[in-house]
Amino acid sequence: MKRRDFIISAGALAAGAALAPRVAQAAPGVIDWYTSSDQNVLDFWTNTVKPKFEAANPGVSVNLVDGGDNAGLQAIAERALAALGTNADPQADMFEGFDARQPVGAVDKGLWVDIKAAGLSNYGKINPLALELDGMPQNLPYRGSQVLLAYDTTKLAPDAVPKTWADLVAWIKANPGQFIYNRPNKGGSGGNFVRRAIYEANGRDPAVFKVDNYTAEAGGKMLDPAWEMLKDIAPSLMDGGAYTSGNTQSIQLLGQGAVTMIPAWSDQTIAAINQGALPETTGLVQLQDLGFPGGFARLTIPTNGVNKDAALKLADFVLTEEIQSAVLAELGGFPGVSWDYVSAELREKYKDVIPASIPVFPGGDWEKAINEGWYRAVAPNVDPNS
Amino acid sequence: MTDTPAGNIAVAMSPAGDIVGTRNRWYLGLLLVAAPVLLVCWLVIYPIVSAVVQTVWLPTGSGEYGFSLETYRFFFSDSYSLNNLKVTLWTTFVCAVLLLVICLPIALYLRFSSGRLPAYVQALAIFPMFVPSIILSYAFIRVLGPNGMVDILLNAVGLPKIRTPYLTPWGPVIGLVWDHIPLTVLILLSGLGNVSNQAIEAARDVGAARLRVLWDIILPRISNSILVAASFAVLGIFSAFTIPYVLGPAAPEMMGPFMQRTFRELYDPTNAITQAVVSFGFCIVFGLFYVRSVARNRKA
Repeated sequence: MKRRDFIISAGALAAGAALAPRVAQAAPGVIDWYTSSDQNVLDFWTNTVKPKFEAANPGVSVNLVDGGDNAGLQAIAERALAALGTNADPQADMFEGFDARQPVGAVDKGLWVDIKAAGLSNYGKINPLALELDGMPQNLPYRGSQVLLAYDTTKLAPDAVPKTWADLVAWIKANPGQFIYNRPNKGGSGGNFVRRAIYEANGRDPAVFKVDNYTAEAGGKMLDPAWEMLKDIAPSLMDGGAYTSGNTQSIQLLGQGAVTMIPAWSDQTIAAINQGALPETTGLVQLQDLGFPGGFARLTIPTNGVNKDAALKLADFVLTEEIQSAVLAELGGFPGVSWDYVSAELREKYKDVIPASIPVFPGGDWEKAINEGWYRAVAPNVDPNS
Repeated sequence: MTDTPAGNIAVAMSPAGDIVGTRNRWYLGLLLVAAPVLLVCWLVIYPIVSAVVQTVWLPTGSGEYGFSLETYRFFFSDSYSLNNLKVTLWTTFVCAVLLLVICLPIALYLRFSSGRLPAYVQALAIFPMFVPSIILSYAFIRVLGPNGMVDILLNAVGLPKIRTPYLTPWGPVIGLVWDHIPLTVLILLSGLGNVSNQAIEAARDVGAARLRVLWDIILPRISNSILVAASFAVLGIFSAFTIPYVLGPAAPEMMGPFMQRTFRELYDPTNAITQAVVSFGFCIVFGLFYVRSVARNRKA
C-alpha cells in the first residue's frame, strides 16, 4: 500500500472509531447484560444460561459484558441514571452482582424495576431467607455463595481440619506461614474472613450488625476487639503478615503450595478445581460454630432499558428449576430459590452443605469502617524487614 | 532607520526576505500551537486548578463554604498517610537509581558495539514496553513468588528458597524497574548519539583509560539525557498503580493505590484529591527539571 493511501485509510479508521460510539444504539431483542462477578460466573452465563434462554426464546439474544468490578457497574448505572427522564438509551438492560442501593438516589428516582411487583411467575420460589436478608424489592437474589476454608489435603488431613474459629486460630499459630487471606476490600474471601473475626469479637451474633446502626462510637467498640484478634494472628500468616490483593491471588498461592489453607469463595474454588488451577486434593470445610459470611448475588433491571420486558423474562427464566439446579451443579453456588425447587437428586447430594443460615454482613457505613479500620489497625502491624 | 513601517513592509514584500510568505501572517504559528495549548488547558491545567480549589474550599460547620487547609493538615499529621508518602518516595528513589545503574551499561553497550548480538540485546531491552503491567504482575508471582520458578530451580540444585519479594516493598521495585527499562534505555541511547566517535578516539589516543573516557567525555555530554530519563522514570513510578497494587504490601501503600482506595472504597473524594495534589506537588519538581533541560537544549 502506498504511504498516502495508508495515511488516508488510517485516518478514516481513526475518525470512524471516534464517531462510532456516538451512533451506537442498543439493538432491540439484544439484552445488554453487565456483571461485576468473577470469570467463573461469566462462564456460567456464557455456557449455560445464555444458550438455554436463547433456545427457549427465539429472536431474543443476550449480550454478556464483563463490567469489571462493582465500581465498573456503578459507572454504567450512573449512565442509566443520567439517561432517566430523557429519551436517551442507557444501553443496559440487566446488572448481575450489583445492588439497587447504588448509585445514591437511584431507587427514589425510579431507576430500578420493582421486581416484587413485576409479577414474575417464579418469584414465589425465592428462598425467603434471601429476600429477608436483602430487603430491597428491586433486588432479585438468584444465587448464593459462601466463604469456606480451602486447604491442601496432602499437608493437612481432613479429620485434623479446624472446625471452629478457636481451632482455626490455634491451627494458624501452630503452623506459622501456612495461612493467608486477602485485603478485606479486595475480594470477599478475605473480606468475609475479617467479618467472621468481627462476629467472633461480638458474641457470634450476626444480628447486632444492621445496615443502619453504625455510629463512630459503636464502630470503635465493636471493631477494635476484632482488630486485636487479627493483629494477634498476623505474625503467623505467610511472610509474617502478608495479605494478597484479591481472591484469585490467594487461590494462586494455595495452588503453588505456598500456603496450606486460605479462606475462599465456594463457587470460585470449585471452578478452580474443575479447571485444574487447584489440584483435586483441595479440601473444603465450613466452620461449625458460625459459618463465614456469604451472601446472595442479585439481578437488577433498569426501568429505562430498551429491552426491559425481555430482561424480566430472562430474570424469570433464571429462577426456573433448570437454571437453579445448574447453579448448584455447575457453578458450585447455592440456589437462590428454596431447596424444594431444585431437583430431588441434587438436594440429596448436597444435603450436608445446605446452610441453615448464611450470615450476611451489612454493607454501607460498616463496610467503609471495616475497609478503613483494617488498613489502619491491622495491615501496618508488620515489620517490613521480617 | 530601516525600522519604520514602510521599511518593514518593504522587507516583507521582498521575495528574498519572505520565502514561505508567512512574515505578515504571524498568527499562523500561534494557530498551530493553539490546539495543543487548549487541550493542555482543558485536560490538565483546569483539572489541577479545580482539584486545588476543591481541597481548600470546604463546607464549614454552618453549611457554607470557606477557605480551609483542614485536609492538608490531616494528611501531614496522619502517620498512616505520611508512611504511604514515604514508601512512595523511597520506591521512586530506589527505582530511579536502579534504572540508571542497569540502563546506562546497556545503552553504552548498544551505542559502541555493532553486529548481530547488540540487535538482539536491544530487542530484549525494549521488550518490556509491550508487556501490559497486569500480565507482568501475575508472571512475577509465578516466577519470584513463593514456590515460584526461581524457588523450583534453586531447589533442583539443592539451594535454599529465596525470601520472596512478593507482597513486600521490593516487589513493586522489581516490577517497576523492569517495566521502565525500555524508556530509560531509549532516552539514554538518544543522548549517546550526541557523543562523537572522534572525541572518544582522541581521548583514547592521548592515553585516557576507559573509566576516564566515561567520566570526562561521555557523561558530561549525556548529563541532560540522564536528567530527562530520571524525570520520566520518577513521574511514571510516582503515579504507578497496577504493579504496586498487585505486588506490594497491604500497608504502607504507594500513593496510586492509596488514592484509588480512598476515592472508591472510602467514598472520600476530598481526601483522595488532597492526596493527588500532594503527589502532584512532588511530581512538578521533576517536571520542572525536564522542562528546564529541554529549554537549555534549545538554547545550545
